[in-house]
Amino acid sequence: MQFKKLFQVLVLGGAMVGAVAASACSQANAQDKAKKPPADAGTKDSAGSGVKGW
Amino acid sequence: MTSARRAAGEAWAFRARVEQEAALRFDRLAIVVAGFDPGSPVPAMMRRAADDERRHTELCARLAASLGKPVVLDPEANLPSIAPRSLDERQAVLYEVVAACCVTETESMATLTTLMAAEPEPEVREVLHSISKDEVVHSRMGWAHLSRESAAVDVSFLAPLIPGMLAGTIDESLFAAPPTDEDPEGLLRLGVLPLEKKREVFLGTLEQVVFPGLEKFGVDPEPGRRWLAGAAAP
Repeated sequence: MQFKKLFQVLVLGGAMVGAVAASACSQANAQDKAKKPPADAGTKDSAGSGVKGW
Repeated sequence: MTSARRAAGEAWAFRARVEQEAALRFDRLAIVVAGFDPGSPVPAMMRRAADDERRHTELCARLAASLGKPVVLDPEANLPSIAPRSLDERQAVLYEVVAACCVTETESMATLTTLMAAEPEPEVREVLHSISKDEVVHSRMGWAHLSRESAAVDVSFLAPLIPGMLAGTIDESLFAAPPTDEDPEGLLRLGVLPLEKKREVFLGTLEQVVFPGLEKFGVDPEPGRRWLAGAAAP
């Protein structure tokens, strides 16, 4: 397992994605902004929990 | 039925449910993130990721059925937030994105990479390959969101919450002895990590990818490291 490569691809790659210019995203997000989250978007556990995966 | 086929059928059925939950989560989070960070690329990524996860659900369910474990999914399923109640909305979203993407999707990517290198059966390889292409993006969108939030607000509140997040990520059996009838080679052929390998991948990914990533974006990894030392202690 090449963990160093995973760090570069996922963590550093993600940071680069997060730094993209805002203009391209604004229109699509404006549509989402008009929506409301589902009414069941409350909190399940007062202490917080995790997300099970593979 | 062999022990490997039985265990693999259960694992793929579990994955189908995990993927269905991920689709619901990303649909919900996309709306909330767009509300406070309208310039972010993350909501669009989450909308695409939700579609990916619905496709993954089908792939995993089909494989589970072929291994003798049909999956019945609830089409009306909903998914509450996993964040602590003490957090405000923006903090709660960050908590959930870090849990779902920075931790779980990153761990999934490490698992998929390991499985792909283990010469799985052709049908299994095809599914693993298809899913892994998407999971790279799903992990990245978590790190992208954490990166943006760390530049905009204080994210240090996450540090003491990481142990609870990690505890909720694993099954208690991860640090137990493997089943006596475990067939490691058979499991790998069917796309499932034997317990010892699963533990190795989980620990390595936390120590070398997730904790350094959290630290890079201003979240102290020490509480998480202390939790891990305790959880993994013999």
